[in-house]
Amino acid sequence: MGQAVSGSILEIRGLRAGYGRRTVLENISITLAARDWFVLLGPNGCGKSTLLDCVVSRLLPSGGEILIDGFSLRKDPHEAKRRLGYACAPDVLPALLTARQCLEVHAASKEQSGVGADLLALAEELQFTPYLESFVDTLSLGTRQKLAVLLALVGDPLLIVLDEAFNGLDPASALILKRHLRTRIETRGGALLLATHSLDIVEHYADSAGVLIDGKLRQVWPKSELQRLRAEQADFEAALAAAIVGT
Amino acid sequence: MALLICGAIAALFRAEGDAIAPVIDALRRHGLLCLGLAAVATAILVARRRSLERARFARSWLAAVPIRPAASRGEALLIETAPASAALVVVAILSLVAALVLAQRADIFAVWANLSGGVLMGAIVSYLVPPPKPVELPPGSRYVPHRKVRSAAPIRPSLAALGRWPILQLFAWAQPKAVARATIPILVMMPLGTMADTAMVVIALFAVAGALLLSWSAALSVSRVAMRWLAPLPVRAGAIIHAFLLPSCAFIVGSSAMAALLLAAFNVSLRSAVEVGAGAALLGCLLFAAALLWNVRPWGRR
Repeated sequence: MGQAVSGSILEIRGLRAGYGRRTVLENISITLAARDWFVLLGPNGCGKSTLLDCVVSRLLPSGGEILIDGFSLRKDPHEAKRRLGYACAPDVLPALLTARQCLEVHAASKEQSGVGADLLALAEELQFTPYLESFVDTLSLGTRQKLAVLLALVGDPLLIVLDEAFNGLDPASALILKRHLRTRIETRGGALLLATHSLDIVEHYADSAGVLIDGKLRQVWPKSELQRLRAEQADFEAALAAAIVGT
Repeated sequence: MALLICGAIAALFRAEGDAIAPVIDALRRHGLLCLGLAAVATAILVARRRSLERARFARSWLAAVPIRPAASRGEALLIETAPASAALVVVAILSLVAALVLAQRADIFAVWANLSGGVLMGAIVSYLVPPPKPVELPPGSRYVPHRKVRSAAPIRPSLAALGRWPILQLFAWAQPKAVARATIPILVMMPLGTMADTAMVVIALFAVAGALLLSWSAALSVSRVAMRWLAPLPVRAGAIIHAFLLPSCAFIVGSSAMAALLLAAFNVSLRSAVEVGAGAALLGCLLFAAALLWNVRPWGRR
C-alpha cells in the first residue's frame, strides 16, 4: 500500500446521511486524487463530522456511494478500510489501554508486522515516546490528539481522515504534524481529508477546500483557485465569510 | 402513574401480608436501632451530596449568575437534602399504604415515626458536622494492574489488549472506596455471634457475585465503546469477537466456579452449588456473546 497511486483515492458520490428522520447531508460529491489535501470548512453543526463519520464507516449513509481507492465502503468494507487511516476524537480513545496497546491493536487490525520506523520517528519528533506506557486516561488533550493521529497513520494508509486533529496541539507539534502530513501524501501518493476551522491550513497546506453549509457543499475552491488566492495574498477569512454569507 | 405504583404496592402488601407482619413487628421492636441507622445513613448521604453539589456548582455555568443570598440558601437546602426528602416521601407512602391494607396500624405508625425521625435527625446532623472534602475521583487506570514494558521494546501487533480491557474496566470500577462501602452493609447484615469463618465465606460470596456482575457489565460497556473506536479499522468481526470473548468468558467461568466452591463451603449441597455455578457461567457467557454480536454488527449507528 505504500506505492504511489495515480487514480482517485476517495470518491464520494451523491452522499445522503442523517440521524433518524433528520437528514444532515444531502447530495455530497467529492473526489480526492493522489496527493490531494482537501480541507472541509463550515460553521458548527453544518455536518462536517457527519460526513467524516460516513467516510470512516461509523455512520451508515442513507444514500450515495463512497469509494476508497476504488473499493466500495458498503460492498467491500474490509479492502476499503485497509486503505483508510482515521484520527478519532480524543474522547473515543480507550481510556484504560496504554498508548502502546492502542498502537498494537491498530497494527494488528491492519495486518502489519510492526509499526513503521517513520511513525516511531514522528512519535519521537512529537515528543510522544515517553507516553507510550501511559494509560490514555492520564494523557492531556494534546497528547491524546497526538496519539489519535499516530494511530491514523499506522499501516501507511492511502486516505488519511482527520477531524479537527490540530485542536489542543501546541504550535510546535502542530507545525511538525502539518509538514509531516504534507510530505507523507506527496511522497506516498495518498490523500488527506481534514475537517477544521483553522484557515492557516487552507492558506499554507491544502490543495483544495470546500465549505459545507446546512449539509450541502456550497462552495469548492479547487487547486487553481487556492493558488490564485495565495498569489494575490487574499484574505482567506474574508473569502470564507463571503462564501458563508453568500449562501 | 403514582396511583398505579401505590396500587401495586398495596396488592403486594395484601398478597404477602403474612410475611410482612413479622417484619413490621421486628422493625417496631428495634425502633431505636432503626432510628439510629436511618439517621447515620441520611447524615452520610446528605453530607456527601452537599459536598458533591457544591463542587459541581462551583464549575457550573450558573455559578456567575447573581442570585439573592436567601434564595440561594433555600435552593441549596432543597438540592442538598433531596435524598432525605425522597426517603421521607417513600417511607410515608409505604406506611400509608401498609396502614390501609394491613391490620397493625399502631405498629406501622411507630415504624414510620422512627424512620422519619431518624431521617430528619440525620439531615440536621449532616449540617452540624464539618463537610467532607470534595470527591475527586482518580482516573480509572490508577487501580488497574499493569505489566511494566520496557520503553524500548518493539511494538508487537496484537488484539490481546481488547480481551484484557473488560477486566481492566472491572478493576477501574471496583475502586477500594467503592469496595469498602459495599462491604459495610454486608457486615451490618450479619447477625451477632456469626463465626469469623462463616463471615469470610459470606463476604467472599458477595465479592464473587459482585465481580461476576461487574465483569458482565464491563464486558458489555467496553464492547460498545470499543466498536466506536474500532469501526474505521479493517478488523473482521470474528477477530473482535475472538479477542473479546475468550478472556471475558474465562473470567466469568472462573468466577462462577469460585462461587460454586464458596457455596459448597457454606454448606449448600454440592449438586446445588454446581448447578448455580454452571447456570451463572452459562447465562453470563451467553448474554455477553449475544450483546457482543449486537455491538459488532457491521454498520452500527452512532
